Amino acid sequence: MPSWQEFQPFIVTGLALGGVYALSGVGLVVLYQATGVVYLAFGAVGATGALIAWSLISVSLPGWLAWLVCIAFSGALTLGYGMVFGPLLARRTPLVKATATLGLLLILYGAMDLLWTTSGGEVRSLTLPTDAHKFSIAGVQITYTQLIGLVIGVVITLATAAFLRSTKLGTAMRAMANDREITATLGVPVRRVEAAAWLGCGVLAGIAGLLLADMVALDATTLTFLVISSLAAALIARLRSVTLTFAAALLVGLVQNLMVPIPSLSNYNNMAPFVLAVLALLALSRRSVIALSREEV
Amino acid sequence: MLDVAGRTASAPQPGSLLRRPSPGALIRTVVIVVLVLFTLLALPQLLSLYYVDYMTQVAVYAMVALGLGVLVGRVGLMSLGQIAVLSVGAWSAARLLFGTSQPFPLVLVEAGLITMVLGTVLLLPALRLRGLYLALITLMLASAVYVVLLTLNFPNGGHGFTGYNGNQIHIPPIRRPSIATSDPAYFRYAVVVAVLMFALVAIHIRTRPGRAWAAIRQSEPAALAAGINTTLYKLWAVALASFVTGVAGGVLAGAVHYLYSDDFPAYTSITILAVVLMGGAYSLWGAIVAALLMQLLPALLNNWGVSNDWLTILFGIGVVFTLTTAPRGIAEQFPKDMARLGGLLVRLVRRGKPGPAGTPEPVSAPAPAAASEAEAP
Repeated sequence: MPSWQEFQPFIVTGLALGGVYALSGVGLVVLYQATGVVYLAFGAVGATGALIAWSLISVSLPGWLAWLVCIAFSGALTLGYGMVFGPLLARRTPLVKATATLGLLLILYGAMDLLWTTSGGEVRSLTLPTDAHKFSIAGVQITYTQLIGLVIGVVITLATAAFLRSTKLGTAMRAMANDREITATLGVPVRRVEAAAWLGCGVLAGIAGLLLADMVALDATTLTFLVISSLAAALIARLRSVTLTFAAALLVGLVQNLMVPIPSLSNYNNMAPFVLAVLALLALSRRSVIALSREEV
Repeated sequence: MLDVAGRTASAPQPGSLLRRPSPGALIRTVVIVVLVLFTLLALPQLLSLYYVDYMTQVAVYAMVALGLGVLVGRVGLMSLGQIAVLSVGAWSAARLLFGTSQPFPLVLVEAGLITMVLGTVLLLPALRLRGLYLALITLMLASAVYVVLLTLNFPNGGHGFTGYNGNQIHIPPIRRPSIATSDPAYFRYAVVVAVLMFALVAIHIRTRPGRAWAAIRQSEPAALAAGINTTLYKLWAVALASFVTGVAGGVLAGAVHYLYSDDFPAYTSITILAVVLMGGAYSLWGAIVAALLMQLLPALLNNWGVSNDWLTILFGIGVVFTLTTAPRGIAEQFPKDMARLGGLLVRLVRRGKPGPAGTPEPVSAPAPAAASEAEAP
């Protein structure tokens, strides 16, 4: 068993990764609540945005502009998908809606491999300027990017929770989570509320893409399928509670990173999110309920 | 339950296995027999070795698509982890082929049974979940299996439980059956195995389990109320699909000779689901269309120098459009479209002909419907 000293740096990376998982998880939960769509293309959208940012930086555009383009692209693409296919699939089961986003995932994945070919063995990297600035707590080096990862996770979670609770749009979203038809009957502009949710989710996908490209790797496959790890956190919260998603995301990030220094487990550390999600889902569904509910859960 | 089809009534005709065959069924049987004979006898002669190898892969993935078709099309269980099931089958078969000198068919059956037990045990607790959550849990499980596989590696003639020899030189190839060591012969072998698996599934669909699955897919509460043991029949479907996919893994092990964990990335499951949805999860032909899309199309594109990424993009577009416009897939949509096109052409020709009476529209209008009845498999 490694000593406490060896664990310390992994607590930092774990919390930072957990923060980004939380950011992604919150985006997924809000979109699912408002529209009933599990957005499996979340990672692919963020990855495409990050690769676009990389291309812009490599033609010596200022960094901040490239990051803005990345976030704007992710937001616009997600909004576009939501506006076109949201209404078309509105009456289908959540399973069909989620599967359709796999189509978007495949399109983006193919396009990324085509435009940013990796066969040459070149390694791309996207480094945020905050990597260079470090400080230390109790002898552990922490970069500002890691701090941003955690802080942004906390901020987004708190902001989203407050937004859902107290604003008019947030109330409308919560109402739609309960029943779309009745909400529409009450005079809520359902399409516009959905558009807001899609846009918000897309913007979060862009931010998460940038941060993960810096923290993990700027690689189409890795980033595209990191959504599965973020989804694990959202699933532990049963795609419902934003705060629970945040807690689960930190747990997933921590467990995943704390397994690294343990020799017998370090090879399996990437399994942590999936195993935690499976266990949570099984524990939460001990009662088998067969109901004729509209929402297929 | 799952309404990929967007409609409810689509039960397979019950009991037709036992009844006296109608003329339509007779024609269908003849077509199938001719196709199988052509594939077995003529195809390996006509194709170059390059394509024979890819056609072997088509046979393997037709079985994988068949298994997923049972889950998606019959019971309404969307699985996003079929590649993990395939890798378990391939792993078990490779281990048995290196570790024992059992005959190849026995190894295939054993690999299928091992996969069946593992798949059923893993999904048994998950069957309480339904729809979306079940699909996501299979995605999680498959991702976990891939991580294990990356550490465990595929057997390559080493010792111990894993059979992995870290030394990368002098790796013996995975053996093939003695009657099918050459590539064309192994292709025929794979086709025979695939035909057996299709027959196994067809028998299931036409007898009691198939009817129970149809009931479950339409409404689980109603099936339960009708006295159907839904848990048993869902597990049965999972077991059957895992068995078929496990056998496919065994055939794959012999086909490629060397297996690597990187050949089974978790996201291939998404491609498999995409082609199965495009091909059509509701008919057995759909599985063959899916396998051709997934394995033959890349071979053709490679030959023409087109990047496979275009195929990924095409599959993505295909999934979105299948789900929004043609939920029953190519295997059922294409004959209808062709019939409609034929009807349209007939009408155009008749209209263009300066006939004395000019054909009235209503006469040709029923033609597409009738034609689609006849052409649909």
